[in-house]
Amino acid sequence: MCAVFCAALSFAVGSALGQSPLPPDRAFRFSARLIGPQTVEARFSIADGYYLYRDKIHFAAEPAAGLSVPALPHGAAKEDPFFGHVETYRGSVVVNLSLTEAKPGQQVVIAAESQGCADIGLCYPPTIQRVAIPIPEGSPAPASSGESAKKSWFN
Amino acid sequence: MLSIQLNRSARISLYVLAGAMALSAGVGLAIWDRQPPDARELLALSLPDAQGAEQPLRQWRGKVLVVNFWATWCGPCRDEMPEFVKAQRDLGPRGLQVVGIAIDQPDKVVRFAKDLDLNYPALIAGYEAMEVAKPLGDRLLALPFTVVLDRQGKVAHTQLGPMKPAQLRKIIGDLL
Repeated sequence: MCAVFCAALSFAVGSALGQSPLPPDRAFRFSARLIGPQTVEARFSIADGYYLYRDKIHFAAEPAAGLSVPALPHGAAKEDPFFGHVETYRGSVVVNLSLTEAKPGQQVVIAAESQGCADIGLCYPPTIQRVAIPIPEGSPAPASSGESAKKSWFN
Repeated sequence: MLSIQLNRSARISLYVLAGAMALSAGVGLAIWDRQPPDARELLALSLPDAQGAEQPLRQWRGKVLVVNFWATWCGPCRDEMPEFVKAQRDLGPRGLQVVGIAIDQPDKVVRFAKDLDLNYPALIAGYEAMEVAKPLGDRLLALPFTVVLDRQGKVAHTQLGPMKPAQLRKIIGDLL
């Protein structure tokens, strides 16, 4: 019995990290809220010691609801020996999304894809987080926009 | 009265039995959870290399195998790879085989392999291949993740995050 116990207990998954890494949805917590009839504030709250890549952040809406994504704010720039110029975010990043075709009473799910790393020496695969945004009944009818700058990597 | 007492005794016995079963199940699970992970799923992988040729991992059975999950988009992965190159160069003749599994696009892997003068196979995989790393300890599917197997194909070490050069040499040295 001791042989089983001792063998079991002596085997340890090694780690150079010294602390347990957070799961990506806690390291890069996504939230979204309606701040205007057609405007959603999308926010990543980034835990200390973690960072997100600017060019790996993408948004989609389900249904599409005329989603328009502005240019993301600039992050801290660095020269990567392999990828060249890259920008990263720490702390938080906020972007206001437009839902130009959202209908009153409709629920729109904002899907945010992100990818980042931890200073302790690891990187996460791309992660998608979703937040449901109920559009209030009293919202004014959205202005029609034939060609909104849709950005959906799901299509 | 007697029947009530018997019922009580029976109830107490049942509680004791249930408690003992729960305890033994818990202990069993704890032992199972701490058992050295099984590399069978990992060794069953067959992945294309950067040139598209299928490379089953079983072909390296009998060698001390270091399987490193990495990607070009993972800075810490790239930083530790020169140590794998050195280890392969120095210890390859003694029976070490390093294998990289890149969760990446072939063109990027080819370019990075050329930059680094990679001297070991770089296999290409999608995120689904990372599922084999989950039972080996990479529950977050993060990179880099390294598995060291002995000559019998048993897991000797797994590590999330970069390996220190001295640590890598020590682990491999003990197995060669």
